[in-house]
This record gives sequence, C-alpha cells and structure tokens, in this order.
Amino acid sequence: MHDAIKIGILYSTTGPYAAMGRDARDGAQLAIDELGAAGKLIEPVFIDPHADIAAYLEAARHMLRDAGCRHIVGTITSAARKEVIPLVEKYDGLLWYMCPYEGFEANENVVYIGGCPNQHLLPFFEYLLPRYGSRPYLVGANYVWGWEMNRLARELITNAGGTVLGERYLPLEETAVERIVTDIEQRRPSFILNNLIGPSSYAFLEAIRKLGERDQAFLPANCPVASCDLMECELEDIRPGAAVGQLCAASYFDSLGSAENDAFKARVQARDGASRRVSSLFASAYTAVKLCAEAIVAAGSDEPQLVRRELHAHPWPSLLGPLSIDASTNHAALPFHLGRINAENGFDVIASRPPLAADPYLTGKRSHHAPKLRVVS
Amino acid sequence: MRDTPNFAGWTVTILHREDSNTERLIRQLRLLGLRPSVQWKPIEAAGLPDMVIVDADQGFDDLLPWRGSNPAMPVAALLGSEAPGRIAWALEQGASAIIAKPVSASSVYPALVMALSIHEERKAAAEKMQYLEERVRLRPLVHAAVERIAERHKVDEERAYTILRQSAMRRRLTMEQLAAFILGGAEPLPEAG
Repeated sequence: MHDAIKIGILYSTTGPYAAMGRDARDGAQLAIDELGAAGKLIEPVFIDPHADIAAYLEAARHMLRDAGCRHIVGTITSAARKEVIPLVEKYDGLLWYMCPYEGFEANENVVYIGGCPNQHLLPFFEYLLPRYGSRPYLVGANYVWGWEMNRLARELITNAGGTVLGERYLPLEETAVERIVTDIEQRRPSFILNNLIGPSSYAFLEAIRKLGERDQAFLPANCPVASCDLMECELEDIRPGAAVGQLCAASYFDSLGSAENDAFKARVQARDGASRRVSSLFASAYTAVKLCAEAIVAAGSDEPQLVRRELHAHPWPSLLGPLSIDASTNHAALPFHLGRINAENGFDVIASRPPLAADPYLTGKRSHHAPKLRVVS
Repeated sequence: MRDTPNFAGWTVTILHREDSNTERLIRQLRLLGLRPSVQWKPIEAAGLPDMVIVDADQGFDDLLPWRGSNPAMPVAALLGSEAPGRIAWALEQGASAIIAKPVSASSVYPALVMALSIHEERKAAAEKMQYLEERVRLRPLVHAAVERIAERHKVDEERAYTILRQSAMRRRLTMEQLAAFILGGAEPLPEAG
C-alpha cells in the first residue's frame, strides 16, 4: 500500500478529562511517528471535541464523511463511544476503543482493546474478597460507568454471601466528598470500590487518607480503596502521598517488567524526557493505532471487513503482549494486573494473570439453564 | 436488584426469511450464548424453543402454535414497518419487545431482557389472577360455612369468621377449601377456640 493510511484520532485534550485525552493522544502520536519511520505512512486527522458530546458527533462525521477516514481511534467515556457508534456503522467504518469499560456491548464496527468487567472487576474481586472480606462500600461517578460497575459489584457480593454497606454517587467533577466519607467511617466496610473519575476520585482518595490518619482501620492495608480506572497520568494530580498503598486494576502498568515494555519506555523517554511516565491510556492508544495500521497493511485495504478478517486471523505482537481479537465479540483478550500505588507516583505490580478472553455479556461465568417451558393452553 | 440476565444455553427460533437482518441477529444471539435457528414456517408445538423472535412485517397467524397473547415463552418481534396493523399483529402474538429493522447490534440484548422480564411478569400476574378468581368464586361457600359455625356455637358472624380463619391456618388450607370440606361433610365443624 503506497497511499498514507487515514486514521481519525478523537480525544478531548481540553475539558474535564483533558489529562487523559492528552495522554491518549500522545500515545497515538508516538505510534504514528514510529509507523512513519518504518515506512508505513499514517495521515492522522486529529480532532478535540472538548468533552462535548455533540462535538464528538460532528468530529466523527467529519472524519468519516469528509476526511475519508474509515478508522477512528478514540473516545474515552462510554457516552462518547455510544454517540459515535451509529455514525461508524452508517459509514461502515471501525472504531478502535481502548479504555476499560462496563461491558454489555459487542459491535461489529468496534474493536475493543480496553477490557470489560470479566477482565478487570471480576478478577479484582477474586483478589479482594478472600483478603479483606465481602462487606464493601461502593462509590461511583454518576453515569453509566459508575452505575453499571457498582451494579455488577453488588451482584458479585450478593452471590458471595456478602453485604454492600453503602452505595453513593457523585456528579462528574464534584469534589465535596465529606458526607460519603462520614458515612464510610460509620459503616466500616471491608474495602471500598472506587468508580469515581478525575477530580472526584482524587478528592475522595485524599479524604480517605485523612480518615486513615485518624482511624487506622481505614489505612490501605486494612480497608483498601480499589479502582479500575486510575492511571499513572493522574497520580501527580493527587496530593503527594494521599493515594499510596491503594489498589488499582489494569491491563498495563508503566512498571511492568517485560522486555517489550522496557524497550517501549526507553523509546518514550528518548523522545519525551526521562520523567515521562506511560499510563495505561498512553499505552493502549499507542497499541490501538499500531494494531489498526498493521491490520490495514496486512489486509491491503482499509475496508473494515478485510481488516477485521486479518485482525481475527492470529495474535498480534503488542506492548500488552500477544494480542488476540475474538472474532465473535471483537474484544481483545487482555492480561490482568493489580497495582499498588507507591510513593513515587507509580504502581507496584503485586499480582498478574495471563490474558483473559473478554466476556462482554458475562455469559460464561454462570451456567444458566432455561426452564423447559410448556404450552399452557 | 435484578441479576444480570444471562441467556447462555437458551434455544431461540427466529421466524424470518434469511437476510442481512437475520445474519446480524444470529451473530449477536450467538455471542450472547443463545442457540439460534432460523425458519420461515410455523413452529411445531412439540419441541418449542426457549424464546421466539418473529418477523412482524411478514408474519401470518399460523406461524406461532398458540392463539392470543399468552405465549408459552418470551416473544420479541422484528419490525421495520410502522403500520398499526403490523404492530397490532405483534401484540396479538404476545410479543413483549420489539427489535427494529434494520437490526443494530445494540438493540438485541435489551430486547431479549425486556421480552423475558415482561413475559415473566405477565405469567405471574395471570397466575395471581387465577388464584384470586378461584377465591372469589368460592366466596359463597365461606359465607355458608360461617353461618353454620355461628349457629352451632351461638356466636356472631365476626367471631365465626375468626374461628374458620384460625382453623384454616392451623390446617394449612385456604378458608375456601376448609369451607368446602365442612359443607360437604368431609370435615367436622371447627371447635370454638
């Protein structure tokens, strides 16, 4: 293929979750640079929709209809993804989505490499319950990610014979966490599942640290705060030391000791300076762009049907290890890593599992036998 | 709170001519763990599937082996038309959810969950109704039994009613059942207690 491959890069690099958007965009840019250096020319179309849902729609329309992109890498929130999908379907493109999300979706026009609950929440609970107990407190951002993650958590806890001691939500960007923390202090859970995002999450972690200083039952060793959505790029926005010891699940951490990761970090630091940390968003955006371009080259076309066939054909070497994309769900099998936040604003990896196939509708975990129904005349 | 609905292992019959809609539908049903089959001929009353998805655009009355809107299993309708007659047909088959055509991947799971949930609610409501109807039908028996107890024990009706109720509770019978037994002579009159 001689023409440049057109790929839309759709991240909000301004607005409330700009830090995440910028990190993802930087990861995408690195992949584009490396592909270019290797002779695979990418013509990216960058658009920043400022975290405005209507602007996502406009941006995706522009990419697909006017700019000639068949492929878009991007969106971070589920709201933005859901908004863009109908357009991607209409123009028969492919959306490369690379964030952890709440599952219950499997679209032919989307490639999912960010992980769904059986790849993050379920193994996380398998780790937490035997160690800390089954009486958690659930907090979350007041939108579908928080709601659905906590709903699943409640189901897992109920099935394990435990009790959810409380469930509270905060609007995005709300930092008034005092009432929730007071409630947690009174109810004394065995751990806290944190599905808050951004500034709410940072304020919450700081308040829990203060609570732990008053009452050591709430120190991370006794009652950890467990998150599935906290990343390296965010740790610097949290008051120094406030999150140390807390737990986070991800399919990538900056501190992973693999040879691929060491080489990758060396390249990133050669470009961006020694202090540059790689977040899971940076890594997954990089992985998405790389995978997209490589599959297009292998297919000899950017026609989604051909790209998908290529993509499903075999595992792809990647920063996350060999990456298999399931042909029926379009989801990547992903490793599970558990990180503990350290004093250097990084994660110490304390547990890992080899790649888990995605089960976006959670069909495989519990066997279900439909009652045999009879005709009632 | 409701558990996450899980259709793994369910059989589903799609009553629709094979086309790109059924293709997309089958893909989505398979990844939800169902075992779909497609046919464009009436379902046999023997060997019914766990769920039915029927084309309401082209559907005809004999496709489904039941009459009226009390299907034996959850039914979802595939519908492209907006014609009231076709919507009515879907309702007459007992459909409790609609999957719009052209089928989009994201519409399938919600429709199955709705179809199942409404089907179960209807079934529970019908059973409850049947139970209550039975009790209403037998009410005159209760009245007659109360009168007989009042006469025998020389108590007022309210007291006689309490005796019958308590006796029924002890025997783990409904009042209607006990009343019928008493009047039929199969049971002695309960003692005043």
